[in-house]
Amino acid sequence: MELSYLFFLSSGLFLGWSLGANDAANIFGTAVGSKMVRFRTIALIAAIFVVLGAVFSGSGTSETLENLGAVNALAGAFMVALSAALSVYFILRMGITVSTSQAIVGAIIGWNFYAGKQTNYETLAQIFATWTLCPLLSGIVAVILYFTFKKLIKCCGMHLLRLDQLTRCGLIVSAAIGAYALGANNIANVVGVFVSSNPFKSLQLGSFYTLSAIQVLFFMGAIAVAVGIMTYSKKVISRLGNNLMRMSPVLALIVVLSQAIVLLLFSSVILHDWLAQNHLPTLPLVPVSSTQAVIGAIIGIGLAKGGRNIDWRTIGKIITGWVTAPILAMIICFVSLFFLANVFNQTVYLP
Amino acid sequence: MFGIKSSMFSGTRELEQKIDEMHDKVLECSLYFKEAFEIYLKEKRSANYRRASKKIKNIESKADDLRREIESRLYIHNLIPDLRADVLLLVENIDKVINEFDEVAHKFYIEQPEIPEKYQAKFRLLVNQVCECAENMVICSRAFFRDFATVRDYSRKVYFSEHESDKTWAALKQDVFDSDMELAHKIQLSSLIGEVADVADKAEDCVDAILIFTIKRDI
Repeated sequence: MELSYLFFLSSGLFLGWSLGANDAANIFGTAVGSKMVRFRTIALIAAIFVVLGAVFSGSGTSETLENLGAVNALAGAFMVALSAALSVYFILRMGITVSTSQAIVGAIIGWNFYAGKQTNYETLAQIFATWTLCPLLSGIVAVILYFTFKKLIKCCGMHLLRLDQLTRCGLIVSAAIGAYALGANNIANVVGVFVSSNPFKSLQLGSFYTLSAIQVLFFMGAIAVAVGIMTYSKKVISRLGNNLMRMSPVLALIVVLSQAIVLLLFSSVILHDWLAQNHLPTLPLVPVSSTQAVIGAIIGIGLAKGGRNIDWRTIGKIITGWVTAPILAMIICFVSLFFLANVFNQTVYLP
Repeated sequence: MFGIKSSMFSGTRELEQKIDEMHDKVLECSLYFKEAFEIYLKEKRSANYRRASKKIKNIESKADDLRREIESRLYIHNLIPDLRADVLLLVENIDKVINEFDEVAHKFYIEQPEIPEKYQAKFRLLVNQVCECAENMVICSRAFFRDFATVRDYSRKVYFSEHESDKTWAALKQDVFDSDMELAHKIQLSSLIGEVADVADKAEDCVDAILIFTIKRDI
């Protein structure tokens, strides 16, 4: 493998690192913030499961991104990932939460425009629909879990201290599921654009299992996400804290579980096939935003509790960020591809 | 490893038990206090009263040990980090109610106030009201740990008993100062009546805190 490939892949790895640093707060931020679990413990568990999710269940969503635009040149893929990472960075600097899923889609469309490729509008419509569906579904799941938990806690008459201990265990398990789901669903954002130009070869793991070339690529991306979780997520968690809403540990558990369930629904090929086999409605395998899922869950619970605690102005600001991110990524990508091709003489697309 | 100890649940169970015992101490104190007061009305500072007062003292010192044990368990075993400060404050408030019972019982023993016959019924009523208030506070506090939905109901009972005890306290105090007893005697009785009524005030403070904790913890 050429060294230049690693250089081009670095933008994807950077995007992966920032995804790990930012999205980990959605998975276990509240658990750490409420001192229910030690950061080191939960970060290690999340890092392991994010890698497992990416390697073993990450292929579904990357196919959708490929359908949207198969970035066929390495330098082009580099710029697509870098544009997404930059737009995420700029919007985060403005103090608005943002989604890498939206940024990467915007950047791919930017590449399509530059390369003169036809954007698959059917896939794009599916992705847009998913972005609306994801917070909505997460909200519905959260409301169902909220009432179920409330009923269960009332019926069991469990001592508050025991409930707290169980919640602690639940937060660890749900963080593991959430991390697996994040890896499975969002790895496509990180290295999905490099799939078409992937130079890795399949890797034999003893005599038991062979990692395909794409799985090796996903593994690289997932390691970057894991490094992001281990090295920088603590700072993000301490900065963001419980700004969104002051939550009891049980509410935190409900939010994390809802997010994990929704992300799994949008990424698990096994689940997708099982639903299809049993003639049940399936969901498209699309990278969705864990931030969107978390916010959907929080709004859902807020509405279930009477809707008094919801800060609609903050939500409006967040939605503005969701609209701005793909547009900004598209513009940055289009302009940067022009420079990369004309100033640095790089091949950014193959005809 | 991973901060999850195998003894995690056994530690919680023991702590639950200790908190339950702390609640039991308030109930015991209340029962012994009523008994001690009846003995005092009949026998004043007799050997029987001394025994009853001693029982309250023992309960108070056991409650202090329990409070210290709960505090150390919460910190040593890193239990319920999110809830720790609230539980500690609650346990301290419960301990204050027990201390107040002990203090009043001891004051009767030391000061040996003369309670004229005509005020005894009202005094008895006040004692029963503050004891009822403390007992309802215990039910309210237990509900905080097991059944949030009923905390509000029991808190209303505590507020009601406290209000009633306030009315009795005011009436009794007025009766005492309207009487032709010596001023020193009036002041002594008035101070004791105030101390008895303080038990209900402490129970009310405890319930105020419980209501805030419930709002914080309600899912």
